[in-house]
Amino acid sequence: MQAPRKKRHSIARGRSRAKCSKGTKNSAMLDLYAVKTQIDEMVADERHAQEDYREKLEIAVREYRRWSPQWQRLAEKIARSRTSWLMPGLVEALDRPVPLPARPEQISIAATDGSQIFPDRHEISSCFLINIGYILLHYGTGEKPLMSSKPSLYYRDEEVFEDWDGQRIFVNRELVGAKRGLMEFTELADLALVAQEMGHRVLAFSDGTLIQWSLEGKPQDFKKYFLKATMKSFDKLAAAGIPIIGYISQSGSQELVNALKLGLCPQQAADCDRCPWRKENQLGLDAEEKEILDEQLWRGRVPCSPVEGLNDAVLLRQILEPGQRTPVYRSSSKILEEYGPHWIYFFYVHVGPEIGRVEIPQWVAEDEEMLALVHTCVCDQAEKGQGYPVALSEAHERAVVRGADRETFYRFLRDTFVKNDIRANISTKSFKKRHAGI
Amino acid sequence: MSTVEEKKSNPLSRFMGDEANAVSAWDAEKTHVGEIVESSTTELVAEAPQLHGAPSFGQFVRVDSEMPIIGIVFNVFTHSIEPNRRPTAYGKTEDELRREQPQIFELLRTEFQALIIGYIDDMGPAQVLPPYPARIHSFVHLCSDEEVRAFTLTHDYLRSILNTSSVPTDELLIAALRQTMRAHGGAQAYLVRMGKELSRLLGDDYDRLSSIIRRAAY
Repeated sequence: MQAPRKKRHSIARGRSRAKCSKGTKNSAMLDLYAVKTQIDEMVADERHAQEDYREKLEIAVREYRRWSPQWQRLAEKIARSRTSWLMPGLVEALDRPVPLPARPEQISIAATDGSQIFPDRHEISSCFLINIGYILLHYGTGEKPLMSSKPSLYYRDEEVFEDWDGQRIFVNRELVGAKRGLMEFTELADLALVAQEMGHRVLAFSDGTLIQWSLEGKPQDFKKYFLKATMKSFDKLAAAGIPIIGYISQSGSQELVNALKLGLCPQQAADCDRCPWRKENQLGLDAEEKEILDEQLWRGRVPCSPVEGLNDAVLLRQILEPGQRTPVYRSSSKILEEYGPHWIYFFYVHVGPEIGRVEIPQWVAEDEEMLALVHTCVCDQAEKGQGYPVALSEAHERAVVRGADRETFYRFLRDTFVKNDIRANISTKSFKKRHAGI
Repeated sequence: MSTVEEKKSNPLSRFMGDEANAVSAWDAEKTHVGEIVESSTTELVAEAPQLHGAPSFGQFVRVDSEMPIIGIVFNVFTHSIEPNRRPTAYGKTEDELRREQPQIFELLRTEFQALIIGYIDDMGPAQVLPPYPARIHSFVHLCSDEEVRAFTLTHDYLRSILNTSSVPTDELLIAALRQTMRAHGGAQAYLVRMGKELSRLLGDDYDRLSSIIRRAAY
């Protein structure tokens, strides 16, 4: 119900004149008629895709059950093959969903989340702000929880300019995002440690993946700095024996499906670069050889394509019962080579409304008691939060900086600059955005 | 100074903003029952420092200021502090919820409204509206029996209540009378005196008068 209201509001203010379309009655903003036509087309395509999808899912479930008793053979094939996709390290039997263990009556959950106001060169000052939300919930005791947030403003030259690989760059969205992500993690570790010192048995919930794959391809010193800080927090948590959990909702990961894809490959050891079913690799074959290969195609596509496009969550929805988790898998992300003793493992768990992906470091994965604690607490948290861990959603609520907050922040900033007689300029573009004339 | 000490004693204070720290420092030595969040000449709204911690209906309260303002609580309400989140039913007792859903109690606030019935200046209690409204963020305290007694020696506050349309008039009269009677040591003579004044104020509405007196004396 909010969208139309917003739209009217914007029309009234006459913003974005250059972006309006021609020929509609209200000539500002989005041309809804044109969008509707495209939505219709999208739905038609989608319906077609869904029929295909259902069949793929059936094949995937069948393949999963076929490989379950002989998962070691699949693991060996994974080890032998060279694929272009991310593969799960199979370290436990596939066919043994783990039932939900009981939660200890008294347990504490720490969680953080972050949000930011990005630097804006059109504003009065190119500063930026990071807001971290902290949650520490105690179960079974009735003790008062911690639910707070703490903003940090960065404005000094050494804060808004960074030197990476010998280049001095002005902080951009990506850098602020990375800094925020790092803060979320290090602050979470510190919060959990303090909670433990206060005598609580605590688990630390982090929003999203623990695998810093986005660091791949970044400047070496940048990567090193971020990894070092992350590993320091991992070290502290490991020394204190505090399980750390990366919870990923709506995960689109396909590692298990990739393993099944490999299982479908008729070759003993797959090498995707030299896939014999691809036309570009069939030069020099005679007609008979080509015919044999063609017989193995699935609807004219390569033999591994029947499960193409599915993800692990969709597949496991058919396999797991509520509360059950999959065995633990070893992630094969390249960045983990830098993780030392904190190599990331993962499992999926049926939390009711969805299949959640849970990432844990090696020392949690290998400790049966900690693993059971993680399993039960993730389910309990999701149940309490109607499908999503309540500590994480509350941390988000604390951290979030909404549009109105951002406006207020810049208003404060301008007022304070004026009061203190500091000269500053607002860009013409920013001024026009706020006061679009007719 | 207390903020600094509090910061030292609470290991979690480093994860809180300055304001939250200041509030928790205050909590330690609190004597107030509310902090004003809305204020006008005739009414005030105050937030209770703790959930369900508001003074009761009909209690006399005093606002800290140079010229203390006296009011009577006429409405207490508890609500969500976030405009787009409202409480939903969990099917659990409050005790179970405190153990298993502790976050919800952090998201609720109790507030109360008080009707302003007068103030205290150098000359003593005045049962007229104060020249200036109470300031936002002033603290609200419960009136002691002695303060109630001093303020209600005369009966003009009854008229203030009766003349206000936005409050449950009769119920508030009854609750206020019960408070003042207790402050006056349960003296029957006091009730009789107030009853006479009420009969004057209500004219010939005998049914209403007897209903009020009967319930106030109960």
